[in-house]
Amino acid sequence: MAAGFVGFEIPWRADVFGGAPQASSAASFGTLGINFRARKPRNEQEWLDALGALTCVIAPVE
Amino acid sequence: MADVMMESSPLDIQRLRQAIRDEYTAVARSPEQGFHFHTGHPLARLLGYDDAWLDGIPDGTIASFAGTGNPFRLGPLQPGECVVDVGCGAGFDSLIAARMVGPQGRVVGVDMTPAMLAKARASAAEAGTTNVTFHEGYAEALPVPDGWADVVISNGVLNLVPNKSAALQEMARVLKPGGRLQIGDILVQKPVPESAKRQIDLWTG
Repeated sequence: MAAGFVGFEIPWRADVFGGAPQASSAASFGTLGINFRARKPRNEQEWLDALGALTCVIAPVE
Repeated sequence: MADVMMESSPLDIQRLRQAIRDEYTAVARSPEQGFHFHTGHPLARLLGYDDAWLDGIPDGTIASFAGTGNPFRLGPLQPGECVVDVGCGAGFDSLIAARMVGPQGRVVGVDMTPAMLAKARASAAEAGTTNVTFHEGYAEALPVPDGWADVVISNGVLNLVPNKSAALQEMARVLKPGGRLQIGDILVQKPVPESAKRQIDLWTG
């Protein structure tokens, strides 16, 4: 979103490193392969609409 | 103590890029040696590439394929579209894209590893693919005009880019309004400490 995209989605993820010839030193962080898509807004209005749809809920101070 | 020392030394971008270049030069020249990731035909099957997409792609380029996802499972490319492949490696996805967009379409592959680019260019020539060109460059500074691309693809690259925000902004810059981003990459399920982000061997291995 910050880079200027809308419609970000990760429709697929899977273990793509298991059984590789060498062990990965990053495996302890739970690395998965993913596919993600997003789209550049068609115009300024679509971008503003996407920003307007963002919500941020802040819990009240107790 | 070790963490404190690493906190005080920032990530050396040039050293990181050279380490990545060295790793992927090996993938280009000796893909059979075995890495911490899968490569080649077995990887393409694992990631759901149709066998038909690989028809006519030279063996050398298939052998050096080292993606982590499948940009084409996110949606087909249309005839006549312009595509940028960020971190194109030996040209595996670029050559598939070139066939999908057809003779009226164009594909630009960008990579920072000369050995990969040499292999990609040789494979394009061997396959007789004339609607693809390969250029040396970084994801954070794509050698592509503003608003040129209908689609930006990338596969297993963004996780290796030091400045991911700059790379995504570059992808947005080169896309036409409404243009699509179709990316294969890596997700980590556990938080990575700041000190670990400065360890180059974690980036490359």
